[in-house]
Amino acid sequence: MLRILLIDDTEKKVGRLRTALVEAGFEVIEASGLTIDLPARVEAVRPDVILIDTESPGRDVMDQVVLVSRDLPRPIVMFTDEHDPAVMRQAIQAGVSAYIVEGIHARRLQPILDVAMARFESDQALKAQLQARDQQLAERKRIELAKGLLMKMKDCDEEQAYTLMRRQAMSKQQKLVQVAEQIIAMHDLLG
Amino acid sequence: MTDFSPSPLAWLHGSDAPEKTSLNIGFMALSDCAPLVVAATQGFAQPHGLTLNLKRQTSWAGLRDGLLSGELDAAHCLYGLTYAVHLGIGGVAPTPMAVLMGLNHNGQAINLSPDLQAIGVTSPEALERHVHQSRTKLTFAQTFPTGTHAMWLYYWLASQGIHPLQDVNSVVVPPAQMVAHLRAGRIDGFCVGEPWSANAVNQRMGFTLATSQSIWPDHPEKVLASTAGFARQYPNSARALVASVLAASRFIEQSPENLRATARLLSAENYLDAPLADIEPRMLGDYSDGLGNHWHDAHGLRLHDDGRANLPWLSDGMWFMTQFRRWGLLRDDPDYLAVAREVQQLGLYRDAATSLGIDCPVASMRSSQLIDGSVWDGSDPHGYAHGFRLHALSGQ
Repeated sequence: MLRILLIDDTEKKVGRLRTALVEAGFEVIEASGLTIDLPARVEAVRPDVILIDTESPGRDVMDQVVLVSRDLPRPIVMFTDEHDPAVMRQAIQAGVSAYIVEGIHARRLQPILDVAMARFESDQALKAQLQARDQQLAERKRIELAKGLLMKMKDCDEEQAYTLMRRQAMSKQQKLVQVAEQIIAMHDLLG
Repeated sequence: MTDFSPSPLAWLHGSDAPEKTSLNIGFMALSDCAPLVVAATQGFAQPHGLTLNLKRQTSWAGLRDGLLSGELDAAHCLYGLTYAVHLGIGGVAPTPMAVLMGLNHNGQAINLSPDLQAIGVTSPEALERHVHQSRTKLTFAQTFPTGTHAMWLYYWLASQGIHPLQDVNSVVVPPAQMVAHLRAGRIDGFCVGEPWSANAVNQRMGFTLATSQSIWPDHPEKVLASTAGFARQYPNSARALVASVLAASRFIEQSPENLRATARLLSAENYLDAPLADIEPRMLGDYSDGLGNHWHDAHGLRLHDDGRANLPWLSDGMWFMTQFRRWGLLRDDPDYLAVAREVQQLGLYRDAATSLGIDCPVASMRSSQLIDGSVWDGSDPHGYAHGFRLHALSGQ
């Protein structure tokens, strides 16, 4: 059964979503208002999905969403009355997986949550691949820089510089990028 | 069911870029995993747009399960294991597999226990006499029921007139645990990859009776394997992976200094976690058998050999199927050539090798003479499989 953390940020506080969720068979943990610390709450509750019910998401709501997306990524679904496309865009950028304007029916909840979770998973995979790519590029740049410095210091060609760096790294049971950092640091030190 | 839709990143870059840029690569703590460790740690993968995450495994069965579950994208793998999974031998449903490239030739060995040494069983002839005259059956360990070590052990024993399935017992032990089993007296000998044979000799726990290259000089051994699904879903990642590992293999064999540095890297805790003295000499071809004999082996471990150790020859894949048939692991003859064509990713390998300027013969079969004098060239797999004096062919 899905564990849902329901954040009720509506004026009425009657919880227009709660009944629908319980009817649809979800385990609902409720927290009213966004005066709470959302990341801490997510850490404690470990929900599968976060639902935010808000008449109009304000700046503090977005801030909390950004924090959760960064530190404890979870699918976040936002139900709101706000039609403004700029607000919607802001919410998606902050890390909301699905943004639903008005109209909540019990039988629509499951497909909405399914879409939000699928969206979330593919976003996470994309993010991991992009992070790996960024790191590859960063490491490659550092290795290239060190290779250039070594070519000058040893007056050797590119292949010889790579071979020297790799032999040094392997003999010290290190990665090539570690030796590259040592060469760069040494070069900085000696000016 | 596996979803073969392209990666969400495919649209972002050109058609040759890897669809998946971060790959989990399984390996076992053995000297012949060197090209993977060097590729992952020495900057051979970044230029091809890949990050390789090394995942050490403790048994071949665990490594197989990791490949099948998708936890591992590709792995250091036994030739025989890859074909057994493809054909559905040994308790798993058949899963189409891919041999992306060969990782090495040679570098495995058969050792016997100190107890056998003490009673003078130090030659093939003495072992044959002992096996046929002693009342208790000897127990030999290999590393996986359909693996290369089982096949080398069976082939060697049979070439000495010992039936491997009738005259001795055989058990499976993970490579790094061979010496402990020997010490505990649970096994009388084993066939294993280095450095574990040298490790036993250096601890004075018995001796090396035969090297695998004495059975078949330049025999196929480990491969870089994945499921066929991985190779189909991420063809650019697979090609980039082969190019990265191939470049690393070439680098390792470029000079003795590079080989020595590789041995040092391998001995680290994260990789083989074994003394350098167990790894380095045999990696360089220098053998001591524990009986006082020392020699330089003309067919020691080869990780590249100008590409000859890396080409996924069709005849290499077919050979393991002939041995499965010979020993009754296959009840019927498969279509040897057709299966090898499915599994061996020759086209992918040729693309990667050509991009690095590595020589690629047009031939997809090679010819070898084995210890018993038989010639294997892939031309008559059925006749070859059925032509051995000692066998366990069913239905005959």
